[in-house]
Amino acid sequence: METGIEIKNLSKQFGKKQALSDVNLTIERGMFGLLGPNGAGKTTLMKIITTLTKKSSGEVRICGIPVEECKRVRQITGYLPQDFSMYGNMNAYEALDYLAVLSGMEKEERKKLVPEMLEKVNLTEQKRTKVRAMSGGMKRRLGIAQAIIHNPKVIVVDEPTAGLDPEERVRFRNLLCEVAKDRVVILSTHIVGDIEATCERIAVLNNGSIIFDGTVSGLLKLAEGKVYSAEVSTMELPKLREKYQITGMLTNGSLTHVKMIAQTKPLPEAKACAPDVEDAYMYLMQQGGVC
Amino acid sequence: MFFPLFFKECRQIAKSLVYYLYLIILVLFLTSQLSDGDWSDRLTEPKPGQESYGFKESEDETLIMESTLAELVRETDWNSYATYPFMFYKEVTLNDSELAEIEQILFECTGKSFEQLLDEMDAHFSGYDQSTMEGAPISGQTFLVEPAEDLTFEEFQNAMKRVCGIIGKGSAFEPEKLTASEPKTYEDALEDYRALCEKDKVTGAYMRLFCDYAGIMLVILPIFLGATRCLRDKRADAQQVIYARAASSLQVVGSRYLANLFMAFLPVVLIAFLLQSPYLYLARTNGVAPDVFAFLKYSVGWLLPTLMVTLALSFVLTELIGNVFAVILQVFWSFACIALETSLVGEFGFHLEPRWNTVGNTQSFFAQLGQLAINRLFYLLLAILLFGLTVLIFDRKRKGGVFWHGKNSKSRG
Repeated sequence: METGIEIKNLSKQFGKKQALSDVNLTIERGMFGLLGPNGAGKTTLMKIITTLTKKSSGEVRICGIPVEECKRVRQITGYLPQDFSMYGNMNAYEALDYLAVLSGMEKEERKKLVPEMLEKVNLTEQKRTKVRAMSGGMKRRLGIAQAIIHNPKVIVVDEPTAGLDPEERVRFRNLLCEVAKDRVVILSTHIVGDIEATCERIAVLNNGSIIFDGTVSGLLKLAEGKVYSAEVSTMELPKLREKYQITGMLTNGSLTHVKMIAQTKPLPEAKACAPDVEDAYMYLMQQGGVC
Repeated sequence: MFFPLFFKECRQIAKSLVYYLYLIILVLFLTSQLSDGDWSDRLTEPKPGQESYGFKESEDETLIMESTLAELVRETDWNSYATYPFMFYKEVTLNDSELAEIEQILFECTGKSFEQLLDEMDAHFSGYDQSTMEGAPISGQTFLVEPAEDLTFEEFQNAMKRVCGIIGKGSAFEPEKLTASEPKTYEDALEDYRALCEKDKVTGAYMRLFCDYAGIMLVILPIFLGATRCLRDKRADAQQVIYARAASSLQVVGSRYLANLFMAFLPVVLIAFLLQSPYLYLARTNGVAPDVFAFLKYSVGWLLPTLMVTLALSFVLTELIGNVFAVILQVFWSFACIALETSLVGEFGFHLEPRWNTVGNTQSFFAQLGQLAINRLFYLLLAILLFGLTVLIFDRKRKGGVFWHGKNSKSRG
């Protein structure tokens, strides 16, 4: 496959710890979500794809290029790491220009594209702002700009919205959707809302293994008939928590409206409801990954 | 890609506080050490019949023994021995039994008791009024102590080794440092004058002294430049985003190294040029054609390899260790390199910083030029090797290799 990512039997060990175990994935053009709890192996997988970590075994091809050919892979990939930052004394323009040089872009090309990218991520007014003076949201926007400036075929974005306020988060998701129109964008996150808002296809990683690979609607189907809502006394909540996974709660005085996951109707007054992606994810994690 | 990266690195260095500290210390040190000193008299051709033509180092073994024994008597009389164990002055004082040992050695070398030797010294300096300097001998070294008739130079050297064993490292009695001065003749002085004018073309002689002092700074200061650059990615949390770029490790490390080399070397050349200028004028006013490019030749041939290897070592250690411990390690190493210098003039061997703490001695310098050339070539090649090692380490780190305490702990699989 020349336009996407193919991962076959990928494993990665760090000493005795098995970070990834026999991962198989095919990622095509568009937004692809990689969901999983902290420590699941998402960042390890992202780093292998971006050549920052060597795999222990298996095969990974980026647009047909084996991941061992680091230089060629780096030419066609863009990476926004979880903790993106740049030299504090550089301003936004300088930082982006510097990274563009490192991507092999010529002077004329940079002169044209750097201002364009800053415009795209809404940083034109802050082009002279030093990186150390930028807010978290501004840094992330600069981060996405540097990830796409060299027009890569694959963009890997690792936990991009962690720490952003809701407005920034929405803005960021929209930006990602825009850039995903004609390339592969892998969004790795533990925030289900990011996936729900932007991705059609997702994979769920847990303890180094893929426990789900399919569409968002496929994930939702898994949890159909397993999510219930009920209004209970606030005093009963602790008992309920012990027995069931609570995925949502809204307290109104002495009563609380709860949403929970259960194989069968948990309470006489409970009603089955349509699961959202978060419910489905929680159900999947609860089941230990049988999909 | 390389040149844009190089220029960007230069611009970043020019904004760096560490770089300005480097400049300030370098300028202050060199101007303080080299601004004094007027040796315009050396550019006057010597005439026959002058009262003195100065002094030269003697290889006469008898003279060496005489003057060394005289110095030993003097220092034993004061019970104060001057030593330079680690480049810095340290006064050594001996206890009674150690003094007795020294006196015994003096007896073995001269056949005279210490009291007799003191009497000889007093007699030599009698009539010398310190307050008026009346009766002062022409030179302190005119006081000489005659060695025993049957004392060979080898026996004398062994005796001095024993003296060093009592006094400690860095004294003037170390066998390899034994020296004596003898007055120059008119022919000696004329030969030196001609060598200064024709071989050194005046400026060359001064530039060697410049290189002597500048070299001391270049063994230490560039360490901080190198470490600052190599730690910058880590401090800014920018490692991953830079590692993931298409630029090769050679281009990234090469641009950083060469930019630091350029920015560190440029002020050295400029200062050399400025400090040379008065001697260009001096030479011309004395009818001697100076070597206008001496500042560049000596800076490049003498100082550049030192700078290159210091910077390269800083790069490799910092990339390997990944924290300021690399700086501490290298600073210790640099001081050790300087402290272990056996001579302040010549005897280059494979010392990192070739010393020539004098102006002139042209003939002696040209006699050792081959040795210097080998020394400089060695360090140039070493710098290139260390640079190559830095590129390999950087490349490995880019692919997820981790270095701990110098051992590469590969992620196993």
